Amino acid sequence: MAEWNAYYQNEDEYVDRDEFEVDYKCAGRDSLVFLVDASKEMFIRGEDGEPSPFDMTMQCVHSVYTSKIISSDKDLVALVFYGTEQSKNPRNTFEHVYVYHDLDSPGARRVKDVDGLRGENGAQVADETMGSGKTNLVEALWCCSNLYSDVKLRLSYKRLMIFTCRDTPHRGDCERDRQARTKAGDLKETVVPLWHLPGGFDVSLFFCDVVSPPEDESELGLQMEPCGKLEDLRKRVRAKEMKKRSMARLNLCLGEGMNVAVGVYITVRQTKKPNAVKLYRDNNEPVHTKTRLYHTQTGSLLLPSDTKRAQVYAGRQIVMEKDEVDVIKKFSDPGLELIGFKPMERLKLHHHLRSALFIYPEEETVTGSACVFTALLRRCSERNVFALCKYTQIRNSSPRFLALVPQREELDEGQAQIEAPGFHGIFLPYADDIRNLDAPQLPTASDAQVDKMKEIVHKLSFKYRSDAFENPVLQQHYRYLEALALDPMAPEHIEEHIEDHTVPKVKMIDQCLGSLAQEFKDLVFTLASGKLGKEQYTEEAGGAEKKPKVEMSEDELRARVQKGTLQFGVKVTGTKKRELIDTLKAQLAK
Amino acid sequence: MARSAKTALVLCLDVGFSMSNSATGQEPPFQQAKKVIQKFVQRQVFAENKDELGLVLFGSDNTKNNLAKDDQYQNISVHRHLMIPNFELLEEIQNDVQPGSQQADWLDALVVCMDLLQNETLGKKYERLNIVMLTDLNTPSSPDQLDIIIGNLKRAGITLQFFLPFPVDGGGSNPPHGGKALSREQQQGLEMTKKVMMSLDEEDVTGVCNPDLSVFKRVEKRPMAWPCTLTIGSSLSIKIVGYKAVCEERPRKSWSVVDAQTHQKDDIKRDVVYCLNDDEETEVQKDDTIQGYRYGSDIVPFSKVDQDQMKYKTDGKSFAVLGFTKQSMINRHQFVGTQVLKVFAPKDDEHAGVALSGLIRALDDLKMVAVVRYVYARNGNPQVGAAFPCIKEKYECLVYVQLPFMEDLRQYSFPSLENNKKYTPSEDQLSAVDSLIDSMMLVEEDGEKKDLFKVNHIPNPQYQRLFQCLHHRAVNPSVPLPPMDPWLTTALQRPLAVATRCQAPLETLKKKFPLKEVVKKKELKTSKELFGNSLGTGISTSLAVWERVGLHSSLGTGSSASLAVWERVGLHSSLGTGRSTF
Repeated sequence: MAEWNAYYQNEDEYVDRDEFEVDYKCAGRDSLVFLVDASKEMFIRGEDGEPSPFDMTMQCVHSVYTSKIISSDKDLVALVFYGTEQSKNPRNTFEHVYVYHDLDSPGARRVKDVDGLRGENGAQVADETMGSGKTNLVEALWCCSNLYSDVKLRLSYKRLMIFTCRDTPHRGDCERDRQARTKAGDLKETVVPLWHLPGGFDVSLFFCDVVSPPEDESELGLQMEPCGKLEDLRKRVRAKEMKKRSMARLNLCLGEGMNVAVGVYITVRQTKKPNAVKLYRDNNEPVHTKTRLYHTQTGSLLLPSDTKRAQVYAGRQIVMEKDEVDVIKKFSDPGLELIGFKPMERLKLHHHLRSALFIYPEEETVTGSACVFTALLRRCSERNVFALCKYTQIRNSSPRFLALVPQREELDEGQAQIEAPGFHGIFLPYADDIRNLDAPQLPTASDAQVDKMKEIVHKLSFKYRSDAFENPVLQQHYRYLEALALDPMAPEHIEEHIEDHTVPKVKMIDQCLGSLAQEFKDLVFTLASGKLGKEQYTEEAGGAEKKPKVEMSEDELRARVQKGTLQFGVKVTGTKKRELIDTLKAQLAK
Repeated sequence: MARSAKTALVLCLDVGFSMSNSATGQEPPFQQAKKVIQKFVQRQVFAENKDELGLVLFGSDNTKNNLAKDDQYQNISVHRHLMIPNFELLEEIQNDVQPGSQQADWLDALVVCMDLLQNETLGKKYERLNIVMLTDLNTPSSPDQLDIIIGNLKRAGITLQFFLPFPVDGGGSNPPHGGKALSREQQQGLEMTKKVMMSLDEEDVTGVCNPDLSVFKRVEKRPMAWPCTLTIGSSLSIKIVGYKAVCEERPRKSWSVVDAQTHQKDDIKRDVVYCLNDDEETEVQKDDTIQGYRYGSDIVPFSKVDQDQMKYKTDGKSFAVLGFTKQSMINRHQFVGTQVLKVFAPKDDEHAGVALSGLIRALDDLKMVAVVRYVYARNGNPQVGAAFPCIKEKYECLVYVQLPFMEDLRQYSFPSLENNKKYTPSEDQLSAVDSLIDSMMLVEEDGEKKDLFKVNHIPNPQYQRLFQCLHHRAVNPSVPLPPMDPWLTTALQRPLAVATRCQAPLETLKKKFPLKEVVKKKELKTSKELFGNSLGTGISTSLAVWERVGLHSSLGTGSSASLAVWERVGLHSSLGTGRSTF
């Protein structure tokens, strides 16, 4: 099995690529600077034992670091403290500014550093290394801007987040306030949002002038509300730390001559364990691979143009040019084409193929797009209909149909956006994608049985949140890596730290249910067979491996090939069996 | 996995002289029948199943069959015995099957087909025996043997289908769709076919045309059962069987690279070399490389042993309930994964059936779902997903879809639209949008709520096009690829009725919402440049329609259940567009 896999991985050039891969390489790197207040006030714990603002901030920074490592490990992150006693910055020209991490992609060491700043111990560490001193935001902002300019890489997206609990950092020193505002003004190109911490924070006193105006006027107001809770803070940091990147900019064609510009975004996508990289044994440096095609007989290198593509059907090889293979997939130019509208109830729950897309207007490309889009969004939502569209993603991709489901904006009490306005693009299956199943004919439950089950359901009901489950596979993988990166001889019992929420808490469930489970079983088993629940499912009953049975004389084989009735009574690796037979036929045809 | 049984099918084509007659401007019945056969055989060739196919011609100039004796069974020729169809057959149909100048009794031809089927399937196992008759019924036929023939068909378990070039309804007395009236022979023939069909105890004799014949049917994969146990805590477990219900179907074959000259795969060898990231790109041996993983800026060497040791381990397959939640808490747009499972109780386990039904009905009443941990197999990764209740007239099941992990979500925020004055549409503009929506509703509100555009009835166009091109290239190796089949292009477009209806509202919309392009985008290569002028010029020859007196409503093979989707394709487009027959 493994060999076959390996073989097909080599074929990747000819297998459909993941259509959703966005090429970030040419887009430059994202960068994010955390500018954190380290004054005494930041270390004061809240009432009810709430963690201190500093502690909360470090938890946020920590989670951003680790999530960057998982989802975008090329991005650059820096951690800078202001209002410190000690100073540490590249040229040591700024006082009371402590650059804890300069702009770089985060690694294990940094994660550990930030971890060390959490909790009571963390506060002590911070006090010992940096201390709390005078506040000079001018210097701090200046220092940050230098961090950006010191980076040699191309930066695509620069963000600065300020974490503080003091709304008057300079205690009414108007001159300093003025200077800070000017400096922030200078930074405006690079600095985007600002975050501030708990209660009674009056933005208007000073910070409203420091915060850069958001990309859009419309965004104003959303982030001006300070937030006090760790969860909220985390959520907002998460929402802001990543640049929204459209995977495509397309026209949504409503009809001839009516093209609305839209961006296509991915808001949910399965994050997989990354592929391993190959390293050179002597120095642990990564190596890259090059693939070459040789002519078997002459040994000469082949150019792509020296090759063609072939498939074999019914014993006949069909050959096409590479270009032809590509162009066969082409139906229409990239874009979204409106077919019509349908009532929402026509969208079937089980019509799901891939993660949905998110569609938002691109006013910058076609002026007026946002207005039509908004009107369409509003009316579709109010009338409870979805738009059916034909979707061609790239030049040579065949069309898929999307249900564009309207999503109007939703805000929470803190004016933070819970749901963004736009259309969700749900992929709809073609006839080929739907399997026909023979449903078994079985008796249905009585009202008493259903009612008993309802009690069980009630007992075990909870409020599902989509961000409540971490992927245990990823978490474990990165936890190990982190440990190994810090200490190659790392102890092996890291596993204990990982709380796997995907595993049911059996004890708790049993306790919750009490006698209900038995009562339900009794209702189902009026006959005292007691099968249910007692008899565990045993792995594939009679699971004796089927032995390959290929005993056939060559003559017989040849005869069968000629008659076209060749078949194997063996299950060969998956769908590629057909190709094995083709190979065999080709062989015998010689 | 049970192996699907094969079908034996004989195509019985009338090539007699009347088949070449047609009203001016009409394609002769013979040509239409030939197209039907070609499409069907193509489909069979690409399906690469084990179904065997024979071809019998009647009205042919020559005679070649087992029953021919003296003046009996003349002008009936067994063109091909039962065999798995191949490209040679396609070529023969294209080049050798031509209209004849004779005529033969279609009942005689039927007998020859039955004889062929019975002789050549002897001692082998077939799931179905089928004869498909394509004729205009324009030859005088002697009905004396009819009852015997019917009896034989029944006894041998042979099913029969007719493809006729005219509609069957109304007894054939009215000229259909402006076509010419049926001849006396045809009327008589029609009565006889009806009698055959009736006495074979088949469904209504209906005239259903079948553009689905041009569809390359993909091989039905026998659904793989996934037996498991649904658990709620440690004390409640219900045996279940899961099946993939929806999943993106991929082509079964991939392209292999061959040498451009010799077309031999073996002439090409692929070589992967490893290079250091230095200026010289120094090559190193594969054996001198080790594996590692990135952890942000760190790269951590990771041996195979490490990997096995650190891999997340599961206790094998699982469908364990973590809890229950309101359906409204699950966002449809946050579904992840690439498949939908339907979960039933095992076929013979009534207790499990009742228990699962209890759960399904409880969830349905409460508008809730089960949140479950799903593990496919011991070495599979765990998923968290939602099991929705699904109650249909004929069955009940749970529908399982995977939900995202925290790491999968990107919580982007977007600028507000409706709270932005610049973008707020006026009442006038909103009503323009309303009229557009009204004019473009694909589901008619009144009456039976007909859906004009069912995506799940459209075959994946990518494969239709691929097989069209493969077939073309297989029989015409040096000719450029053909343009897209017109029916396929049409199937992917806004339905004509809607396109017409929305014209005026669209014009209004254009006026009310001025749009102005800001940046000139780089022009993409057009299809013309890439494909030559032939593509998209809207070739207007459409596949003419053959009316069919059907028992099994498709010319396909396999069990009728597995063909359900295709039948509907045929049915809907035929009723929907009212394609004319001649």
